[in-house]
Amino acid sequence: MKTILMTRRVLLAAMLCLLVPALAWAGNLISGQRFGADNEIVVTFSEPLAPAVAGEAANYSVHEEADPDIRLAVAEVALSEDGRTATLKFAEPLNTVKTHVVSMAGAGAAETFRVSKSYLGYLLGILVSALLINNFVFTKYLGLCVFFGTSKRKDTAKGMGITFTIVMVASAIMSWFFYQFILKPFDLNFLQIVIFIGLVSLTVQAVDTVLRKVNPALFNAFGVYLVLVIANCVILAVPLILADNEYNFFETVMLALGAGGGFMLALYLMSSVRERMELANVPRAFKGVPIAFIVAGQFALAFLGFSGLNIF
Amino acid sequence: MATDKTNLQLVTNGILNENPIFRLVLSMCPAVGISTTVMNGFMLGIAVLFVQVFSSCTIAIFKDKIHPRIRIPTYTLTIATWVTVIDMVLAAYLPEAYAKMGIFIKLIVAFAIITMRLEMFAGKESVTASFWDGIGMGLGFMFGMMALGFVRELLGLGTVLGYDVLGFKPLLFFILPFAGFFCVGLMMGFFNYIEARYRRAKRA
Amino acid sequence: MKDIATIIFRLTISCLLAGLVMGTAFVLTNKAKLHNAEEREHKVMLGLLGYSATKPAPEFLVLHPVHRYIVTSGETSAIGYLVPVKGANEAEYAFVEIGLDGAFQGQQPVKLAAEQAGEAGPRDAAIAAALGTGKALRYADQTIVVTENGKRRAYLLPGEFPGFKTFIGVILALDPAFTVLGLEIMEHEEDPGLGGEIVQGYFKNQFQGKTFAALKKLGVVKTPLPEEYRRVLEPGKNGEAISPEEIAKIQAQYQDKDIYALTGATISSRSVTNGVKAIANKFAYRLAILDRVLAEQHIAVPF
Repeated sequence: MKTILMTRRVLLAAMLCLLVPALAWAGNLISGQRFGADNEIVVTFSEPLAPAVAGEAANYSVHEEADPDIRLAVAEVALSEDGRTATLKFAEPLNTVKTHVVSMAGAGAAETFRVSKSYLGYLLGILVSALLINNFVFTKYLGLCVFFGTSKRKDTAKGMGITFTIVMVASAIMSWFFYQFILKPFDLNFLQIVIFIGLVSLTVQAVDTVLRKVNPALFNAFGVYLVLVIANCVILAVPLILADNEYNFFETVMLALGAGGGFMLALYLMSSVRERMELANVPRAFKGVPIAFIVAGQFALAFLGFSGLNIF
Repeated sequence: MATDKTNLQLVTNGILNENPIFRLVLSMCPAVGISTTVMNGFMLGIAVLFVQVFSSCTIAIFKDKIHPRIRIPTYTLTIATWVTVIDMVLAAYLPEAYAKMGIFIKLIVAFAIITMRLEMFAGKESVTASFWDGIGMGLGFMFGMMALGFVRELLGLGTVLGYDVLGFKPLLFFILPFAGFFCVGLMMGFFNYIEARYRRAKRA
Repeated sequence: MKDIATIIFRLTISCLLAGLVMGTAFVLTNKAKLHNAEEREHKVMLGLLGYSATKPAPEFLVLHPVHRYIVTSGETSAIGYLVPVKGANEAEYAFVEIGLDGAFQGQQPVKLAAEQAGEAGPRDAAIAAALGTGKALRYADQTIVVTENGKRRAYLLPGEFPGFKTFIGVILALDPAFTVLGLEIMEHEEDPGLGGEIVQGYFKNQFQGKTFAALKKLGVVKTPLPEEYRRVLEPGKNGEAISPEEIAKIQAQYQDKDIYALTGATISSRSVTNGVKAIANKFAYRLAILDRVLAEQHIAVPF
């Protein structure tokens, strides 16, 4: 129970940290900007502007941040009646994944601002993606040994899931620091595997020692799962993925949380089914592991339905 | 302590009695993830064979020098070293096959089968015995992967090793990613069934 | 205490040994890796131009790489092109800066050996040295201009765009009129059997022969691929021979048609189509500006 409370507190703190950069965006004249439909950018102003200024397509110049020489043609601008909201319509659909830079002339000094998808949404997108869309067990097929070993009972599943998530987040953060500040600057990328597996072992050992001293009751409940964490390839896959994708700190935390949470979800779902399956009349040759594989296959099939899901 | 098995028995033990995939149910991730073709299974099998044999031999050579209290970290370090080596070699000389295998080559480090063999066998036995045991385990893994790849490739694409043998695609289902679970489950059940039949026939 | 000392000692020794093994392997393989990757790319590029092992490329066929950079100094940014220059010395390059409005801003000679131009590190350093301080460089992309006997034969455009799962890396070949010569998928992580089919001839060869005008309006349709078209797209797949006239006839028939989407992978098909369109559009726009500037400034390029 305590662990859950702790995890929750950590989660809340992480969320608050993430909100700060989102609030820091604030211009003078421009009070808000976002993507509308797939060929629209919606700009809101802090004061009403005349249609001759804000309603003229020629006053705007828009380009993707990576391609400053290619101007995107603004087909028309629709200014709302109060003069505070302008909707820029483009001839072709925008690539909303990329950051767009908009310059606006006419209202005194030229205003330049960036339009991108909300960063918080992007981070949550990473979390949801690791949790459901790219669930490590059902769509990336990692960590299966431990998955089949500890999904027989619901209690085991919960214990393993929680232990795994905590170790996952801790070791991912350490791996991120090592990767960003040691491996990358010194061009030691070929040592990735050794360093990451070493860090995982170290985290497990540290959690083991600390838990044993600080909370023996908790250690009795979760200690047995700690050994199994090392044998789980998800814990190694996450550092490798974050090194590959050059994730920053927040993205790393989100990926690790998603991976851990996804593993826990998969374990819980699977154990619920397997507890009931013991009562079912399964052909003798398929009892135990073979039928568990087939059930996992059905879960994987169901999880395929999440692919293409795009909330943020 | 020395094993009383001959070299041949050590090899066949790994392929049949203690097959890593179908009997010990270890290292299932690649068995589900990339067993879509025979070639994939073969390539990953080669990599695992290399890591298993070299790690087994390394540990068997240095077993007297390894302090018992840091046994597991030393094993992990050994495996990680050889995985890094094979990872770099494959990336340099077989880039296309390497790209298909993706992250799984690096994840050989976390394969329970290799650590388990070091702990149970190479840490106690002679270098020769460990070598043959490593060969057996590696081949067992390779054959398991290739068997899965054969079934999935034949049923899903109608080909074997890229050669068109059927001329049509019987069940596209088997080549799709998630079908790995079904395929492993069905084949495991099938082997259990054969074994039960065989035992019953022997008893009668 | 003695125990701990031996443990530390032995652990250090094993770490050193491991480091030695890995370091040796790294030194031995790294060069081969870069070399093989380059070779593979070269082979793919020649393949896109229609050459293979049985039909080797003629000697007078030359590939000229043009590297594009984004140069920022303070608030303003400009586009910089590293182009080879015809001169007494073979290995000479010029860095041409063009403003965002298409106006010529300046050029600097860059001293660089031909084999170094392919490596990011020495190339960036050489350009930065030529530009002087106060300007920041960001590498954008590269284009390969193919010439045959000094005349332009094709453009090879490596590019990258988001697919269904992760990024899809491609090389697109265009002829001087921007008609697609071919498309090759270099890397992708789409699902095998679904989006992974983009590497198959019956999908990627559909782009072949699309004119620039057709490419601009290119869409994706969900109707099944007609059988006769599939036979042309994958010649010799099932041992059936088709006469060249028939191929030409069928290709002409489908030239202005949209791309037939892969079954169960419409999103992957659509992202490849849109990605190819974007690469070709941006390139055509930039090339017009670059050609005008090169002609106006009388910069003698070998293409």
